[in-house]
Amino acid sequence: MLTLLQTIGRSVIDTLGRLLAPAFEPPLIPLRHLGSLTIFFLWIVLVSGIWLLIFFDTSVHGAYLSVEYLTHEQRYLGGIMRSLHRYASDAAIITLALHMLKEFSLDRYRDNRWFSWFTGVPLIWLLIPLGFTGYWLVWDSLAQYVALTSAELLDWLPFFTDSMARNFLSEASLSDRFFTLLAFLHLIGMPIILVFGIWLHVFRISGPAINPPRKLMVGTLLCMLALSLIYPAYSQGPANLAQVPESLGIDWYYLLVYPLVQLYSPGVVWGLLGGITVLLLAAPWLPPARRAAPAVVNLDNCNGCERCVDDCPFDAVAMAPRSDGKAYELEAVVDPELCISCGICVGACPTATPFRTRSALVPGIDLPDLSALALRETLHTVSQGLTGSPRVLVMACQGSDAAKRFKLTGTGILEVQCMAQVPPSFLDYALSRDLAAGVLLAGCPGGDCRYRLGSQWTSQRIQRQRDPHLRQRVDNTRIALAWESPWSDYQDPVRLLDAFGRSISDSPDGKAPKTLASPIRRRFIRPLALVASYGLLALVTGWLSNSPPYQLLNPGQAMIALSFSHAGQRLHECHTLTQDELDKLPPNMRALTDCPRERHPVQVELRVDGEVVYQDSLLPSGLWDDGESSIYQRVTVSAGKHRVFIGMRDSGRTEGFDIQQEVQMDLSERQNLLVELDDLTQRFLFR
Amino acid sequence: MTLLNWQAKYSVGVASVDYEHQRLIEMINELATEIEGSVYTDAIELFLGELHAAISAHFALEERAMAKADYEELEDHKADHEALLEQIRCMMDEFVADPENGRKLLQESLTNWFGQHFATFDARLHGALGE
Repeated sequence: MLTLLQTIGRSVIDTLGRLLAPAFEPPLIPLRHLGSLTIFFLWIVLVSGIWLLIFFDTSVHGAYLSVEYLTHEQRYLGGIMRSLHRYASDAAIITLALHMLKEFSLDRYRDNRWFSWFTGVPLIWLLIPLGFTGYWLVWDSLAQYVALTSAELLDWLPFFTDSMARNFLSEASLSDRFFTLLAFLHLIGMPIILVFGIWLHVFRISGPAINPPRKLMVGTLLCMLALSLIYPAYSQGPANLAQVPESLGIDWYYLLVYPLVQLYSPGVVWGLLGGITVLLLAAPWLPPARRAAPAVVNLDNCNGCERCVDDCPFDAVAMAPRSDGKAYELEAVVDPELCISCGICVGACPTATPFRTRSALVPGIDLPDLSALALRETLHTVSQGLTGSPRVLVMACQGSDAAKRFKLTGTGILEVQCMAQVPPSFLDYALSRDLAAGVLLAGCPGGDCRYRLGSQWTSQRIQRQRDPHLRQRVDNTRIALAWESPWSDYQDPVRLLDAFGRSISDSPDGKAPKTLASPIRRRFIRPLALVASYGLLALVTGWLSNSPPYQLLNPGQAMIALSFSHAGQRLHECHTLTQDELDKLPPNMRALTDCPRERHPVQVELRVDGEVVYQDSLLPSGLWDDGESSIYQRVTVSAGKHRVFIGMRDSGRTEGFDIQQEVQMDLSERQNLLVELDDLTQRFLFR
Repeated sequence: MTLLNWQAKYSVGVASVDYEHQRLIEMINELATEIEGSVYTDAIELFLGELHAAISAHFALEERAMAKADYEELEDHKADHEALLEQIRCMMDEFVADPENGRKLLQESLTNWFGQHFATFDARLHGALGE
């Protein structure tokens, strides 16, 4: 089941990757920067949000007008800022969703990597409310819908005794205070928690990518700007609580579940959200990890040079004071709770060189399950079986698609945990001892390393930009970094091998490592593909941000909203205590009358044209069953003339009503008829 | 045969680096003895692999110490390290290809390498790191 889901996810990511491949250099493919792109979009949201804040008026009547002013009067600044604010937050959801899908389908969320996944889930719970409180603040008809539905959702929770939704049924009951509270949450409260949450999210990984590459930042910003100019964001008419908007352009990125509140019920929606959240939070343990043995330090070969600490992508290696009495100051220590056994530390260790034959090849740090010694032995075995001309050795990550595909071609393949597990001296060894004429490093597609930084470190080591680097004397044209080639998805391994084989035979004295790219294709197709890719992002962002529209009421319908709080009568009457009864009580508790506080439930019945459309018995609130009962219900009816009957009993009688009223109403289309109870006059009000 | 002798003036002021310098000198002296007496070039080649690993590790540590001390000449010093490692690797290959020639080359180079590097680069390091 899990494998199936991951396979589906992977094919989605692969397809997207292939779609984007013509437009971007492999290191720039946006799929490799989904997390940092999300953060970048949030930066855009923050900056544009500050501009909006300056002009925003946090009051019932001022909110809408101030946003209208921003949108129309300062069209080319405020208007763009507003559009940017919306579209960047929408785009953040796209990248966030893809980010999750990718980490899930590439299985990068279990074992010791659970922490980032686990701390990432609550971030969604912060981001989504940030989105809908934002829509709320605009106070247009969409905001009205958001307000009412959010309130219905919150009312379902057993925290509030009184109905919050009632506030959004009529203008009279709405106060500016509410906007101040919302503005606080949207502008300060949630953003601060979000920043803290993001910090926690990347806390356990070393050198987290907070910013995407600059080219990508410029590209996405231009893309969002273009979208804001071509398709600016507008409000959808001022909120009018006396009317139900007919249909709304809903931002599906943030409000996806809102229509379900009407379609089913708040309880169903909460169940759905809670279920998904629990499932996501528990995902790293469904099933629990298959933990490989963590890296082990061998002090006889460790002098404390710290290179493993530099390269560990998960901060799992740290330096500690020397413990074996040697004159060194430090030694490497592995935290088994953080180590995910990628072996990148082995690739960084200067003593992990295969030229060591006098002593056993035991590096300062090594993987017990796939040691450097075992790698050297396998290298020799594989080398003996190499055929073809030139003899190309393939190195691929264990269990990867690349490994599977290359195995099918029958070529000699050395499986490693990660490309960066292989120290550059191994490549020197393989080539100088003529174990192979060329080595093709088939790392993770697009350089998107399963262990985050493996392909990056490998590229830098081979290009001699990072220690330990490939010795100058080694001809690095004989080493192919396959993930930087156009065919790095390994769909066609034979073609990749051919291309590499030819490049070895053709140009024996080139200097740069082979990237196997074809320049002609790049020059003509790239700009077009780039525009198309960003266009696609703009299109998806803009379209789903307010379409397809959501039909709230069918034509010719109106709504009756029943909303009031009323305390039922006492269950028992007060009675005066007799002297006997008083004597039995402790002296300090001898009250002359005893008034039990429990109340009757309030029963409500709504009939339209004689037909019962709503009937319920509402229990009193409060710990002692002595509070008010709260009624909130919306009913859809056809527009036109109706006989509306409302009855309520609060005395425990089984028939008839304590208060009842019937009126003739002529409901106009989309009218929102509010039925309330005035406790003073004991009469129902129809507004 | 004792090619090199550790002297207090070689100290760079970092205990671990000094300790490794002494160990390397022991190793090189041992190698020199081996080349003198041995007819087995295999043994020498094996030893070179060992030396290469030890020196790589040592340079990594020394470069780290220099980086931590913000040593100004780190870049030049590192370049010399890299050149030395390149030479040792060439020597190792030479031993595989033509043992006799390799042996001759090695004898000429041994003192040069370390005498030179110690006298110039590590001497400048003296006292620059710590103490």
